[in-house]
Amino acid sequence: MTLYAFIFYLLAIVILIATGLAVTRRQPIHAVLYLIVAFLSTAALFFMLGAPLLAAFIVIVYAGAIMVLVLFVIMLFQQSPKERRLLSEWGPATFLGIVFLAVAVAMVFKDPGSEIVLRGAVAQPRDFGRFLFDRYWLAVEIVSILLLVALVAIIHLSKRRDTEEIERCPSPHPSPPRDEGKGEGVSYQKEGHQ
Amino acid sequence: MTSWLQDASLMAVTLSTWLPFISFLLIIVFTRNQRRLSAGIAIGAVACSLAGAIFLLVRHWGDSVPIQYSARWLVTGDVYIPFGYLLDPLSLLMLCLVAAISFLVQVYSVGYMAGDPGFSRYYAFQSLFAWAMMTLTMSSAMLQLYVFWELVGLSSYLLIGFWYEKFSATQAGKKAFVMTRLGDVAFFIGLLLVLLHLGNLEILEMNSSEAAAHMPPGLLTLAALLIFGGIVGKSAQFPLMTWLPDAMEGPTPVSALLHSATMVAAGVYLFARLFPFLTHSADAITVFLVIGTVSMLLASTMAMVSRDIKRVWAYSTISQLGFMIMGLAAGSLFAGSFHLTTHAGFKALLFLCSGVWVHLYETNDVYDISRRGGRRLKIPMACLVIAAAALSGLPPLSGFFSKEVILEALAGLRNPVWLAAALLGVFLTAYYAFRLVFIILFPRGEVQEEPNHHRMGTLYWAMGCPLLVLACVTVVLGLLQMPLRQFLSAGIATHQDSGHAWLFSLSVGLAALGVGVAWFEFGRRAALQVGFVERMPLLKDLFAQRWYLDHVYRRFVDIVIDGFFSKACTKNEDRVINKSIDELSHFTLDSGDLLSFLQSGKLRYNLIVMFAALGLVALYFLVA
Amino acid sequence: MIVPLGHVFVLAGLIFAMGLVCLVAHRNLIMTLIGVEVMMNAAAIAFVAAALRWQLMEGQAFVLFILAVSAAEISLGLMLVVSVYRRTGSIDPDRYDILKW
Repeated sequence: MTLYAFIFYLLAIVILIATGLAVTRRQPIHAVLYLIVAFLSTAALFFMLGAPLLAAFIVIVYAGAIMVLVLFVIMLFQQSPKERRLLSEWGPATFLGIVFLAVAVAMVFKDPGSEIVLRGAVAQPRDFGRFLFDRYWLAVEIVSILLLVALVAIIHLSKRRDTEEIERCPSPHPSPPRDEGKGEGVSYQKEGHQ
Repeated sequence: MTSWLQDASLMAVTLSTWLPFISFLLIIVFTRNQRRLSAGIAIGAVACSLAGAIFLLVRHWGDSVPIQYSARWLVTGDVYIPFGYLLDPLSLLMLCLVAAISFLVQVYSVGYMAGDPGFSRYYAFQSLFAWAMMTLTMSSAMLQLYVFWELVGLSSYLLIGFWYEKFSATQAGKKAFVMTRLGDVAFFIGLLLVLLHLGNLEILEMNSSEAAAHMPPGLLTLAALLIFGGIVGKSAQFPLMTWLPDAMEGPTPVSALLHSATMVAAGVYLFARLFPFLTHSADAITVFLVIGTVSMLLASTMAMVSRDIKRVWAYSTISQLGFMIMGLAAGSLFAGSFHLTTHAGFKALLFLCSGVWVHLYETNDVYDISRRGGRRLKIPMACLVIAAAALSGLPPLSGFFSKEVILEALAGLRNPVWLAAALLGVFLTAYYAFRLVFIILFPRGEVQEEPNHHRMGTLYWAMGCPLLVLACVTVVLGLLQMPLRQFLSAGIATHQDSGHAWLFSLSVGLAALGVGVAWFEFGRRAALQVGFVERMPLLKDLFAQRWYLDHVYRRFVDIVIDGFFSKACTKNEDRVINKSIDELSHFTLDSGDLLSFLQSGKLRYNLIVMFAALGLVALYFLVA
Repeated sequence: MIVPLGHVFVLAGLIFAMGLVCLVAHRNLIMTLIGVEVMMNAAAIAFVAAALRWQLMEGQAFVLFILAVSAAEISLGLMLVVSVYRRTGSIDPDRYDILKW
């Protein structure tokens, strides 16, 4: 086992543990923090797999911007309800995850191409940048438009109307009898226009 | 087919038959609000038709071979049904008759229907009828004839129910249509039988001798009887006879045109048309004779007690049609056709004369008319007497000649019962005809003064001139017997006079006897104006209730149709059809309820399902 | 020289499965979005490994795009969560069952 392989497995374990912890936390803030660890490990993994620019981007964008954004939004919520009845909720999801995993692993090992050992190489940032703007400049532009659109949408959605109120939703209710029209459900306030 | 414009006959026949249809369309679409224009268009169209008919009659007088024009209409597989015109003596004569009486009646209607709000509609329907009837007479194939047969029935319905605000009128129209429809169903089945065996429905082919060879005798009898069913319906014979008296709800000119001279004569015309075909089977001939005789006698008895002037003539029409059918079934084509022609003349005259009084006094009751001084109107009164005399068969009017021919034909049969029945019918006819005449002629009691007798100017003459024309025809037509016989018999072996001289005196004697009895009971100064039948309450009720035929039908409809079929169908509808659909919908709802647990409304389960599907796809790619 | 390709893919698969579990098992919308982020992370790892195996840089370009799209998507998603929270006061997806029969 070469040094690189050893580093790889080490990083893999870190990622796995961090992600595993992230998904099982009850408080979202804890989950986000663990996730940041996982992303930093992922960045290291990218370094090793020959994508230094991407690693930098992961750190800056993912761990630096996106997770911070999530933290801000979590901060906006005044209540973070404790989750109840964990076990019954986790059942189907875990089962699904295991099945999915089994299928994926089987798929991977069925293919003979997965035996190939990766050879180390590095994509220098200069080369990568030139390559990107040579061949995929259109995709880059489109991605920038996408970000612009997202920006506009968010600004529009975030406008709070003066007449809006926060309505508390009622406790879960039994299903209504068949002959009535709509069920009670969550009452939505009528917006003026959208 | 010869070129349309070159052949004058084809052009004449096409114009004659289609001009009234164009007039119908014009009136219905454009000139609903302009009365004079509508009447002008209709009368103009019928006048052209009359001119065309006379032209054709004159041109083809003496032709021994019928001329047929046909065009392809329905062609499928083995079946070829053309649309065409058949010009032979019978059809030309009938065309003239129809056109002439239509024309006279439409002129008469200018006076009769003056002031009626539906004036234009009336003339539109009259044109529709004229078109349908004329094309029916000129048809060369049975399917075309059937189509126009139905159209004639339709226009009859429209005209009977012309004053549709009156409930009785709409009821009468419905009754007429349904009853004739019953006959038409049998007619159609008979036509189908013929079509199946012969392959086509052309009249010339059906009448030829090869046709009889193609069909087995049982089937031939059956087809003949079924086609006769249509005749029974249309010509109001027993048992489908009660619609005709009710059809008197329509305006009197309609009764004169449709229900005496032309539409109901279409049945007899059909018989004459298919004469060789229908008389192949001796059993069928016997049935025809029976039905004709029964109708004749039943209707005569009903006429003897009726107080409604139009109803009397309606019963008389049924009776005379039965008489014509007897003559045709006895084997003489000329007998039936000649009586058809003369009957059209004097029956229309009878109705039109009655119409003058009905229009003036607005009552149908004979005694009312006589009390109000009906006899003061000279022209209707004189024409009524002439027509009644013709109906009774008094010489030298046309009715006498035509009745003689029929009686001679009946005398040629082996069984004397038919002749005896016919002679009884002659007596009864004379009796009821002159009963009516004497009631009007010799009113009892105070005669009311009607001050406005001669206030009508042109309208009076519009009604009066047709009366005079028809009266002249009635007088003169009998003298044309020999030429007509030659004309109609062209191509068929001429019938020899069998020299039944005693028949002549017997029938005249019976007619005179009938007149005498009527005079005794109604005409004499001291008479009570109550008939001998009316003194017997049992018979009076029987005859007045039309031999309870209507009651029998009502009972039949109530018990069998309403009570049985309707109830069965209603039950089927409720318990089977509706119930099954209800159950289907309940099943749908219940199964939806059952499966509604799947929709928990939780976002996460939707996501689980989505990813599970993705996993299944991956599994597929793994395995496959 | 490093590891067989299959191993890297197995790693990516494991991370993906964990992200899937996080997505569907939490009654908190934020955790749902975090699950999506984890899954995208797994995809990025897989792409980079593939780029190294075939020595092509397209894989890495694609990871860049994944990054950008993920940024856009999570910001929008968070905004929607905030909107829903403002309307209903709860971020439990089980509460939003007005369409349930």
